[in-house]
Amino acid sequence: MSSLAATGLCMGYTSGKLRTEILRGLSLSVDAGQLTLIAGPSGCGKSTLLSILSGLQRPDAGSVVALGEDLFRGDRYARDRFRLQHTGFVFQGFNLFPALTALEQVMLPLGYMGVDDVAAQARGRATLEEVGLADRMHLLPAELSGGEKQRVAIARALVKRPELLFADEPTSSLDAANGQIVIDTLRRIAHEHATTVLCVSHDPRLVTHADRVLEMEDGVILGDHRITNNGAMAEEENTP
Amino acid sequence: MIPLARKTLIHEWRRFLPAMLAVAFSGLLLLMQAALVFGIFGATAVYITSSDAQVWVGYPGTQSIELGRPIAPAARTAMLMDPGVARVEPFAWVGADWRGPAGTGGLSVFVSGIDTHADGMIFSDVLTPAQRASLKEPFAVIVDRGDLDKLGVPVGGQALINGDLVRIVGTASGIRALGGVNVVASLDTARQLSIDGGDGADVAYYVAQLKPGADPAAVAARLNAHARGYAAWTASSFARRAVFYWMFQTGAGLGVIFLAVVVFIVGAIITSQTLMGAIAGSVREYATLHALGVSLGSLRRVVLEQAAWIGVCGLIAGVLLSLALIGLAKFEEVPVALNLPAWIACAVLVMGIALVSGAAAVRALRSADPALLLR
Repeated sequence: MSSLAATGLCMGYTSGKLRTEILRGLSLSVDAGQLTLIAGPSGCGKSTLLSILSGLQRPDAGSVVALGEDLFRGDRYARDRFRLQHTGFVFQGFNLFPALTALEQVMLPLGYMGVDDVAAQARGRATLEEVGLADRMHLLPAELSGGEKQRVAIARALVKRPELLFADEPTSSLDAANGQIVIDTLRRIAHEHATTVLCVSHDPRLVTHADRVLEMEDGVILGDHRITNNGAMAEEENTP
Repeated sequence: MIPLARKTLIHEWRRFLPAMLAVAFSGLLLLMQAALVFGIFGATAVYITSSDAQVWVGYPGTQSIELGRPIAPAARTAMLMDPGVARVEPFAWVGADWRGPAGTGGLSVFVSGIDTHADGMIFSDVLTPAQRASLKEPFAVIVDRGDLDKLGVPVGGQALINGDLVRIVGTASGIRALGGVNVVASLDTARQLSIDGGDGADVAYYVAQLKPGADPAAVAARLNAHARGYAAWTASSFARRAVFYWMFQTGAGLGVIFLAVVVFIVGAIITSQTLMGAIAGSVREYATLHALGVSLGSLRRVVLEQAAWIGVCGLIAGVLLSLALIGLAKFEEVPVALNLPAWIACAVLVMGIALVSGAAAVRALRSADPALLLR
């Protein structure tokens, strides 16, 4: 049973007289407990796909079923609530609030979920320890390295205990070592918490760390590969 | 709950400082405009507001005090017969021509003839009992300190009013007029200076103090019921008539009000632009929170809280600056005045500017493409 499935997604933009199709009838299905990587060149529509799969943006056509719920049947408020309860997000640019310490960044979404301050602090500390930042909790983003910032961002997504975790180019502003730590953390989250982790990236280093790689180009999925334990790409299973 | 709005404001105060300054200067401009409007047009009611009379009786339909005409002494009798009236005092008002030393030319002046007793009602707030007593000297006059230069005569100096020699025996503060110079004299002196000669016909107003508990509006209504050739007003309604007459019946007043409207609009535009710029700087972080499921409504509250803090801080700065400038203006004898409703109205307008700007900034977030924001 897939935890996230999209059918016939179409999306395009009109700029002046020019119509650009970003997604052309794209379908996919993603399983829980795995790190799924959507790989493809820049501008192939990966980020747009992610924002539709997470309910941030409504597609021109097609449907998304997440955790058994049709995302675009309800209104914007219903999708906000769904994301608040079930999803986490990690971005290329970290997008941390400059004024908040690592612990406060992580506690922030819990406040909006109605978790009280004491519980939020306990969960925030535990999550920061999980991503290896136990001794960095009280530092501001300006005092953290790029890799540490991205781990704070991961902790901020993870602290909600989401069933769905989306990551948009999480390693592109990191060096090799930090990129490695981040992608390993994402994979461990998928395996240990049975979370559906969906990561989009054009970074070829990530391919060997994913459980499954979907190749995307020109708004459609061109290839689907399962990765074996030794990091080799298994035979192509199907082409949706 | 993490106090995101306040923490961000404090941490990134440099980014929010221009918005706060814009709010402060909008507030300053609005307050100073209001202070000048009230100061300048309040001067038209200075006879009324700086006196402790509660009921004024004058020529029917008089719109402003300098438009008064002589009324019959019978008015005084009617007032004294009213059960609510304790005391009645005449107030003479003479338009006259001032001739100072050579070189200053002629000036139009308004001569007020007042009761020189220590408990006189007219100008009770601006003249000391000693100053009143000094007016008992024939042809002694008191003028506003700010008018001395215009009159060209120092305290103790002499000049001609309607051809009679008068002497300035002192100065007071707060009796400046709009469109002329107020000269205060005794009732006798005023009569002498009147071109008609001293037959008492130039008494333009009678003012009354009431017995404790008497209602000024009721007394004025009773007097008006049987009035012939005169009319009665409460002090506050007569003052309002005078201010409104100058504000709305003369082009000058409308000009100042028009300028105040322009100031408000310009202030609102500048403030909203700087505030939107400051808030737009955090748009990626807000978009991230939205992606994590925080509703736009909750984000709007964060931004509005920031806008409100900016409004409050800007307002405090604006008020402090205004107080300093008003103090300076008063020191320089510039007519400025602000009452509590005017302060409150300006504060509400300034906070309104800040909050509307914050709401506009949230709209910018909503219309942005999440896929582009979330890089």
